[in-house]
Amino acid sequence: MKDLMQQLINGLALGSIYALIALGYTMVYGIISLINFAYGEIYMFGAFTGLILAATYKTNVVVALLGGMMLSLVLGVLIERVAYKPLRRSSRLSALISTIGVSIFLSTLMVLLKGPNTQGFPKLFENKVYAIGNFQITIYQIVIIGVAAFLMLALHLFVTYTRTGRAMRATAQDQDAAGLMGVNIDRIIATTFAIGSSLAGAAGVLAGIYFNAVQPYMGTMAGLKAFAAAVLGGIGSIPGAMLGGLMIGLLEVLSVTVNLSEYKDAFAFGILILVLLVKPSGIMGQKINKKV
Amino acid sequence: MNILELQNVTISFGGLTAVDKLDIQVKSGEILSLIGPNGAGKSTVFNLITGLYKPSDGAILFQSEALTGSPPYRIAKKGITRTFQSIRLFSELSVLHNVLIGTHVLGQAGLFHSIIRSPLMHSEEKELREKAMAALDFLGLADKEHEKAKNLSYGEQRRLEIARALVSNPKILLLDEPAAGMNPFEKTVLMDIIRKIRDTGVTIFLVEHDMTLVMGISERIVVLDYGKKIAEGSPVKIRQNDSVIEAYLGSGQFRSRIRRKETGAC
Amino acid sequence: MRNIKNNWLVQVIGFVLVLIMTGLTAQGLSRIMPPYYLQIGFFIGINVIMALGLNLIAGATGQLSLGHSAFMSIGAYASAIATVTLHLPFPVGILLGGLAACLFGIVIGFPTLRLSGDYLAIATLGFAEIVRVIFTNMQITGGAIGFLGIKNLTTFPVIMILTVAMIAVMMWLENSRNGRAMLAVREDEIAAESVGVNITWYKIQAFAIGSFCAGVGGALFAHTTTFIQPTDFGFMKSIEFLNMVVLGGLGSIPGTIIGSVVLTTAPEFLRFMANYRMLVYGLLLIIMMIFRPHGLLGGFNFRQAISRALFLGRRIRQGAKV
Repeated sequence: MKDLMQQLINGLALGSIYALIALGYTMVYGIISLINFAYGEIYMFGAFTGLILAATYKTNVVVALLGGMMLSLVLGVLIERVAYKPLRRSSRLSALISTIGVSIFLSTLMVLLKGPNTQGFPKLFENKVYAIGNFQITIYQIVIIGVAAFLMLALHLFVTYTRTGRAMRATAQDQDAAGLMGVNIDRIIATTFAIGSSLAGAAGVLAGIYFNAVQPYMGTMAGLKAFAAAVLGGIGSIPGAMLGGLMIGLLEVLSVTVNLSEYKDAFAFGILILVLLVKPSGIMGQKINKKV
Repeated sequence: MNILELQNVTISFGGLTAVDKLDIQVKSGEILSLIGPNGAGKSTVFNLITGLYKPSDGAILFQSEALTGSPPYRIAKKGITRTFQSIRLFSELSVLHNVLIGTHVLGQAGLFHSIIRSPLMHSEEKELREKAMAALDFLGLADKEHEKAKNLSYGEQRRLEIARALVSNPKILLLDEPAAGMNPFEKTVLMDIIRKIRDTGVTIFLVEHDMTLVMGISERIVVLDYGKKIAEGSPVKIRQNDSVIEAYLGSGQFRSRIRRKETGAC
Repeated sequence: MRNIKNNWLVQVIGFVLVLIMTGLTAQGLSRIMPPYYLQIGFFIGINVIMALGLNLIAGATGQLSLGHSAFMSIGAYASAIATVTLHLPFPVGILLGGLAACLFGIVIGFPTLRLSGDYLAIATLGFAEIVRVIFTNMQITGGAIGFLGIKNLTTFPVIMILTVAMIAVMMWLENSRNGRAMLAVREDEIAAESVGVNITWYKIQAFAIGSFCAGVGGALFAHTTTFIQPTDFGFMKSIEFLNMVVLGGLGSIPGTIIGSVVLTTAPEFLRFMANYRMLVYGLLLIIMMIFRPHGLLGGFNFRQAISRALFLGRRIRQGAKV
């Protein structure tokens, strides 16, 4: 039991990272039905930016985190401009392949810039261990869960209460109708990319601190799993992405507990397929009625 | 003889009953029209007959055999084909290919024959192509056979849909607003076509808004409002029916007629 | 009828002759071609077979699959086990590889094909990841280290004969009642059902045949490289095949062949760029999608173009002005 609680905390920390990335997938998908495969690479760029800021410029953790988010934001907007916007009226498959092109480009670029090897993350602050009752929680975990919770809350408030947030929700429902109501669709799409990307950047920096490992291909698997998390929770749904991320994180940690760590990647996708078969729209997704 | 019979058919979407205890008999060889205001549940009736929706209650009989629960492709195979209100063509394919796919139920050659290109497949293919060309000819589309379906004019697309549904020699043809978007000339041509199809022994069941067309060719008319049958009879009788006039024009008294949300029923 | 039967026999004999000619030509070529080019030829053949399989699934039937490499890996491992562990002859190995992949295609297809569009894509992606993880942890496949000691049994004639046969089968299939039903499923599922097409059956069929192709491709791959490991068949590999199909023009067989040839040789042409190679590859994909979103051949109809060219030729001969 004690072990289980401990694993729950570990899973929560890992899940928070997945949830942050999954939010970007779900927001972009919700608005333009595009699976942005370059997303994992944005996360990777965020991690590297944090690393460079912390290692080379010796900045503190807040600056590293904000720096990672800022660069990812710019990158996200750039990707939208260059690789998605010209394809808005083409088939979705073309847009998807274009994002795959971006993904290949970005990971190769990072290999060229920083080499293909895994790099450690400098210690930004002392990692203390706190014992609460029977289980332990590290400062790193507190920071990750705290930052993730804060960002998700901020996102929730933004989407629910601001004018831009309302415009985003309207655009997700019906792009043309929102446009006719005076919503600047181009700006909303760019904003969505920007927000999602900055969340992925934050996740990248947090993952760098947590795992103490950053490398150019780290985005592929994390991206796929976060995408799985988004679909699991119900793609297009923001609470769904959070839930899905936490579930995938917990599942991964639990598979280690039951000595099946070699299969942890398979578990995430196995559950995903099972959920899709039972409820194709995901746990919190809404069923779309087929119109004849 | 009734070729198609709806008995007490009911379907609800959420809290909304789109079709309510509906009884319709389609007689073999007749032209029957189903009319009613927007959202009355006309297309839903077609979707129920062709198996796209499953009725919550009631039975649908085709040649005294229950259809309820059969998947759409089986129902097509039995001899019920249809067109759609919002045209549904295989738009990237050629006109000929559209009609050839319509012959699907007539063919037998499956995967094995296709891969080894067996003699059976060859002779069948020849036969199907002839049939397809005949159907295109019948609907005046023979010269467009290589055109992509999406490049046809609106009226031509409607006719192509009829050709695709007709080529498999169905026993009954369901036409969902075939005249929508046609100009008056095209409508007269269409009326002619529908009569000709009936004369080859195919029963016609159509949903239509255009009253000239409906009154011009129907032998019997069923009127639907809020999913219920409110009248049935010859065009002359329907024209004078009070509840039909009220359904279309209102009673003259103020009465809230909030239209139901059209989810599902379209 | 008799006439048709005779015609058919002539066609069969003709086709066998074409295959023999292909084999002989390939045999000759393999003698005179430098090994480097020959190697590229091997991979072109394998990739054409792989991409044609995916084209049937994604291009003709319209079911986006992001797990094609998983079926390739099943074929590769199954054939390797057949020839190395079970000492079966190579042709049996190829067949077993194809059948194993086909079987999995059907097993996976049944439940997942109810899903549509992106959901199917993510389910196939998930399936591919699961397959990869399982192969990484299995004893018989050599785990993460990989399967060693596969004999180099693939020859150029074998690859070319199988490639030509596969192209022919795909073209025949496309022009049959069966193939048209698949196209109908892609174009409009509801309309397809309304004319009697059992959409589930044709989706499963497409998955089965496509996976079979992938399995055969995998078997040839395993016996070309003589060493396979699970990372050879990752997500990016599936994407590579998808790129081949889309680059040439989704749903077009000539397009798929051209796409496979271009994308197999492109990294070789870009070799002089050394490390910048994948950078350029990524950029090319983006540029390509922006300027030719429907593929290199996008909407280009080969059959029509050929018949038009022939017709034009006749008119010129008859002295008409063009």
